[in-house]
Amino acid sequence: MTTLWDTTGTAVVKALAAERRTGGGVTSGLALTLVVVMEEKDAAEVEAAVSVASSRHPMRVLAVLRHQIEAPVPRLDAEVAIGGRYGPGESVVLRMYGRLALHAESVTLPLLAPDAPVVAWWYSETPEHIAYDPLGVFADRRITNVIRDADPGESLRARATDYAPGDTDLTWTVITPWRAALASAFDTVQSAATSVVVRGNPVDPSAQLLAGWLSSRLGLYVPVEKAEGKYISSVELAFADGHTVDLRNEGYKLVLRRPNQMDSIAPFPQRSTGDLMAEELRRLDADQSYAEALGAVTGHTDLNSRPAIRSHIWHDPALAAQEG
Amino acid sequence: MSEPTTISQAVVAPALVTGRDELAPAAAVPNPLRDPRDRRLPRVPAPCALVVFGVTGDLSRKKLLPAVYDLANRGLLPADFVLLGFARRDWEDGDFETLAKQAAKEHARTDWNEEVWERLSGDIMFVPGSFDDDEAFDTLAKTLDDLCRSHGIKGNAAFYLSIPPSMFPVVLQQMERTKMADNEYAGGWRRVVVEKPFGHDLPSALALNKLVDDVFTAPDVFRIDHYLGKETVQNLMALRFANQLFEPVWNSNFVDSVQITMAEDVGIAGRAGFYDATGAARDVLQNHLLQLLALTAMEEPVEFTAEAIQTEKLKVLRAVTIPTDLENYAIRGQYDQGWQAGERVLAYTAEAGVPSDSTTESYAAVRLGIDTRRWAGVPFYLRTGKRLPRRVTEIAVLFKKAPHLPFSHTDTEELGHNQLVIRVQPDEGVTLKFGSKVPGSMMEVRDVSMDFLYGEAFTESSPEAYERLILDVMLGDSTLFPRNAEVEASWRVLDPLEEFWAGHPPHKYRAGEWGPKAADEMLGRDGRAWRRP
Repeated sequence: MTTLWDTTGTAVVKALAAERRTGGGVTSGLALTLVVVMEEKDAAEVEAAVSVASSRHPMRVLAVLRHQIEAPVPRLDAEVAIGGRYGPGESVVLRMYGRLALHAESVTLPLLAPDAPVVAWWYSETPEHIAYDPLGVFADRRITNVIRDADPGESLRARATDYAPGDTDLTWTVITPWRAALASAFDTVQSAATSVVVRGNPVDPSAQLLAGWLSSRLGLYVPVEKAEGKYISSVELAFADGHTVDLRNEGYKLVLRRPNQMDSIAPFPQRSTGDLMAEELRRLDADQSYAEALGAVTGHTDLNSRPAIRSHIWHDPALAAQEG
Repeated sequence: MSEPTTISQAVVAPALVTGRDELAPAAAVPNPLRDPRDRRLPRVPAPCALVVFGVTGDLSRKKLLPAVYDLANRGLLPADFVLLGFARRDWEDGDFETLAKQAAKEHARTDWNEEVWERLSGDIMFVPGSFDDDEAFDTLAKTLDDLCRSHGIKGNAAFYLSIPPSMFPVVLQQMERTKMADNEYAGGWRRVVVEKPFGHDLPSALALNKLVDDVFTAPDVFRIDHYLGKETVQNLMALRFANQLFEPVWNSNFVDSVQITMAEDVGIAGRAGFYDATGAARDVLQNHLLQLLALTAMEEPVEFTAEAIQTEKLKVLRAVTIPTDLENYAIRGQYDQGWQAGERVLAYTAEAGVPSDSTTESYAAVRLGIDTRRWAGVPFYLRTGKRLPRRVTEIAVLFKKAPHLPFSHTDTEELGHNQLVIRVQPDEGVTLKFGSKVPGSMMEVRDVSMDFLYGEAFTESSPEAYERLILDVMLGDSTLFPRNAEVEASWRVLDPLEEFWAGHPPHKYRAGEWGPKAADEMLGRDGRAWRRP
């Protein structure tokens, strides 16, 4: 590992090249560059998550930490490593101080793996508009996690307003096992669904997205009704032929109940953030199903037809604070 | 301030709810929750039972049971699933469960999760009985019927014949008698999975195919060649047909020759009886190597479906020609004693269970041709053997040398053929070998390799071949399974070779070496040499 204090972007590029030469990193292919926007306090969690994801997708990790935007003198500190806390691949931790934090792309652009897709991930604190953050503007895929925001419900609505194809949110990734189990239950049903209810926390973004997805696929109004538990506790479906299905989260399993049939149980492991990221990174194009679910939640119908490219909007948090 | 968000029906675009017709008859309603664009949702088979004959055997314990557990752990099994074991043991469900748990725990590739196992163990059953016992098969048939009601498996069942081929007739007759193999009678699909060997020559393969196809219908028969379940083999099709770069040079204008190697470092460990009656050519060349050849040489399928791919593979296999000079271009060998990886190893004829005068080959190499416009004149060298220096399977496409080199002869002395190597195992990946200048003030060109490697951790999480293949059987996707006609075409290639070899004792080679000298001479005669994999 090379540690650089008060350095420049050019020195970081050279240090990475040197690590590649001495570390033998040239022998493995790179599928993508992951730019993680994070804070110092998240370090341990991000490291754990990225090391899981990078063991499944060969990638270069650029961790961007912005400090003290109001500091008078801009400064860059960097750590360059191949194989380490961020998994088996190449990683560069970039700590940016002062006004440099507003121009983070000037450091990351030369560090992106040539012609490989770029994925930006905001570990916490989703920007209000992704176009405010140049790191998001230069990314082909953008991953947010509204559950870590102060008001996740509000944040999810902001995601829809701000949506561009290529955006996804980890609150959507979390419900893949629910969606898989529901789709599997539908495989054997020979009639149309007439009513669907999601029970859980009505303000939870995952519960809302699940309801939105069911609504967009089935063409039904799908409410989220309050129930015990902090996110989704069950989904109840009724069909035209009188058949019913009840899918329930019971600890580490999903239990599928149907009348006159034995319960069927699917494993429902607690997936780590790393597992969720690994799922996200499998696809580097737009997720239309997510857009439809998000659209159904928030009433936007144009999400899939929006342009995928954003232009940077200059946004100075210092000025915004003064005005605000 | 955050109120529950309402989801209004009005926002749903009408296009999204088509695919489901309110007025359509109850049958065949497409699942509205499945959307081809939604690639996160796994391919999960319809409710079904997997019936394993010979469930206490080696293959079942090492591969099948762990694969079923791994599928469950990955959430790829249908909500309604039953694993039904059949073997000649006096066992209760519980005893079998213990064995299955032990096997799964020992050989599973995914992490052990007690919850998953508990769920799965509730769906595991055992039916004891011998294969000639009518009563046992009646019980099995009745159990399956009962499961349709209690477990909602809808009459769907896959039968895995993990038993010696000599047992096939009696088991298949039993299935026919009890109508277990009858799709219509069962009210769902009934499929059968057969392991190699698919016969030992063309007549026996025809007889076996007829036997199986008479009981099951031909599209319901799945022949497992586990090599085709490997990630790199599937990647071969992506490499060839998804890229513009390789296909234009994938023909006799540019390709000099192709070498397909499957080498093993082990001996015949414990399989003496089977191996001595079979030999390397029947065990490996007839199935794995010819399948790899077919995938390498086939034309582009018109679409990526099982039928279209099988059509192209069959065309190639039927165009395969064997050399006229068999003496020099069909070599078999048998390992003698020697040293391997620092240990002394026995000669083949000294292995336990092998007769000391055995003439069975442990090595086979052959030059094949393909009579098509694309491949006319390009030799395909195939080799397989046991007790070779390392375990490796690869396909190497060697390109012709440039027609003119502007450099002086001495500058390019070290320049060989450009090569594209598909490494099937281990170190799954692709290597491209080409000439590059040696750094320095002189103009010297030598070979360098450019590597694409699926990282070790990356392949660890990719499904094991058996997992993939069992899943495909349940999904009814036969893309990765050789069909009847392919098996028969392969025997047509091998039978004349076997006939020739019957009268010629195998060449000896020392254990731990890359095969007999005669195999090196075979390529030397053509002005080529084997690649060292």
